[in-house]
Amino acid sequence: MRFDLKVALRYLLSNRLQSALLIGGVAIAVMVYTFNAALINGLAEFQIQRVVGSSSHVTIEPAKIAPVLAPAADGAERLVVSQRALERREQIKQWRTVEQVIDTIPGVTGVSLNIIGTGLVSRGQQTLPVMLKGVEPARLSAIAPIDDTIVEGEPRLGLNDVLIGRKLAADLGIRVGQPIFITSEQGRERTLTVRGLYSTGVESLDGRLAYVNLDTARVMFDLPEGISEIEIKLADIYGAREIAKQLADTTGLEASAWMDKNQRLREALEGQGSSGSIIKFFTLITIIVGVASALLLTTYRRRPEIGIMRSFGISQNFVLSVFIIQGALIGVIGSLVGCALGWGFSTLLANITGASGRALPVDPALGQYQLALLLAATASIGAALWPARAASRIDPVEAISQ
Amino acid sequence: MSTPVLEVSDVRKVFVDKDFQTSVLKGVTFSLGRGEMVAMLGPSGSGKSTLLSILGTLMRPTSGSFRMLGRELTDMNEKALSEFRNQQIGFIFQYHHLLPDFTALENVLFPHAGRVGRETQAGRERAAMLLERVGMKDRMHYRATRLSGGQKQRVAIARALMNQPALVLADEPTGNLDRETADQAFALMQEIQRETGTTFLLSTHDRELAERCQRRIYLRAGVVVDQPPEAAAPAPAAPSLAAAAAASAGWRVIDGDRVAVVDHTVAFDRNAPAEDRRRTY
Repeated sequence: MRFDLKVALRYLLSNRLQSALLIGGVAIAVMVYTFNAALINGLAEFQIQRVVGSSSHVTIEPAKIAPVLAPAADGAERLVVSQRALERREQIKQWRTVEQVIDTIPGVTGVSLNIIGTGLVSRGQQTLPVMLKGVEPARLSAIAPIDDTIVEGEPRLGLNDVLIGRKLAADLGIRVGQPIFITSEQGRERTLTVRGLYSTGVESLDGRLAYVNLDTARVMFDLPEGISEIEIKLADIYGAREIAKQLADTTGLEASAWMDKNQRLREALEGQGSSGSIIKFFTLITIIVGVASALLLTTYRRRPEIGIMRSFGISQNFVLSVFIIQGALIGVIGSLVGCALGWGFSTLLANITGASGRALPVDPALGQYQLALLLAATASIGAALWPARAASRIDPVEAISQ
Repeated sequence: MSTPVLEVSDVRKVFVDKDFQTSVLKGVTFSLGRGEMVAMLGPSGSGKSTLLSILGTLMRPTSGSFRMLGRELTDMNEKALSEFRNQQIGFIFQYHHLLPDFTALENVLFPHAGRVGRETQAGRERAAMLLERVGMKDRMHYRATRLSGGQKQRVAIARALMNQPALVLADEPTGNLDRETADQAFALMQEIQRETGTTFLLSTHDRELAERCQRRIYLRAGVVVDQPPEAAAPAPAAPSLAAAAAASAGWRVIDGDRVAVVDHTVAFDRNAPAEDRRRTY
């Protein structure tokens, strides 16, 4: 065994209470760190899954038609105002080709071709605005698991069928099997039969969105050839940006990833992430302050001994490493214990279900244990540097006569 | 005299503390031969401990030179001095200064293991042999805190010899022991000195032990003198008298024996002859 390691161990063991308290302090800090990571990351994952579980990962939309402009004179400023083209509706006409491109991308788990539009739905005196989404009946649940959310009726979309949310049905006072009258934004009118009611739990969807057959939508929105968007679902949600870019480049259409479409989710996650970072930062500060102050005290108490070592020609580096090793041992042992505690605590909380029947969204697997271990050990070693330097610079004559 | 192990030439040491300068060593010159056992005598404050610290390379002199084994030590850098100290100088202190968390064996081994970075088999064997030599074989694995004062000093003697130094510096090594234990410890050092040919320089107040050394050096007020300080020593001047005199003259009292005027330090040496009692540094 290295002799500096032996001396460091002996020092730690000679004052067991202090060492235990120090290791305990580091362990608690690391536990807070890892639990905090498991909670923040678990919560983020939970929110992401909730969002991406029922929405598209990559959405392809028609390219914005930019006006062609004559080159301006050097230094001239130019203001261009353009009205959205009324004649040329934004649509994806070449969707068949795009679909072929999508087929070549690995990791695509679902594709849906949609026509989106708005309309009014009336029954009796009631008129409510709705968002209509025309989908292929076979791919109804390719993006959102509509099949699973049907609470009444069946997930079937014939040419004259419509699926609406439970809230909209309640607002209209309608039940499965009854007809509703829909006017599209293009002024086309159609009477459709309510085939099923779904409930996603998201009020804005349940009260506003109605699914119709893609071919029905074609007629209602005057889109005999094109479609409004293509939604894609991926096995790896975090690869969405890359695939979106790839699709945009190859098709010349607009393709956006879920994280860029969900600004609010991203802001929420960033907010949680930075509050988590503040907590983590302070746990590291706690480790540094604790370890540094305790080792400084040790240095002071052992002044005469260090003086003796120096008088026997033991090098400053040896003294330095004795104290740094103490810091490292405290850091490594403390953080191993802390990781175990953090994992245990997270697992415990993840398995306790509250009154709502749901557990806290803690994910013990996301505790960032390696990072915590690395940071805590580095912090402990860093904290030991100052006392170690002080120890190695002790003047033997002064220390011995103390 | 045999070949010199140590040659000290005009070594001076002045401590500077803000406005005060205290000259502790004022030109010390002497040498030690190989295998000699020399006692250094002198009253408290005569500079014995300072001289030992300088000879032990723990402190640098203000001026002068000293050579050990033919090497000039005053201009050596810290790292080289530390290495030299480890190899050639052993210390024995008044309060043994063993490391309390280590066993007798580990304490003896320390100067070796701390330098090479690990405990070697050869090192352990030598430490065990030394402990056996000082009569501590049975308590080799006892923690230092479990040993008596005399036993601790024996371990300290063994530790000083661990790296086979050319010179052992002992600062009042028996000062903290009772008469009988002190005699035993001294006898042990004498035997070892004879067996190994190691040079010993002992600072002591114990006249009886000093007489048993081959040679004596007297240090008085920072210089080496030929006669024992007590030969011409008058009755000690009471510190309170000095302080009272200082106060009446409007001087500031630094401590019991020292007073200061604006830019001089005036020392009263209790053991100095009457005409020398007031010195201006």
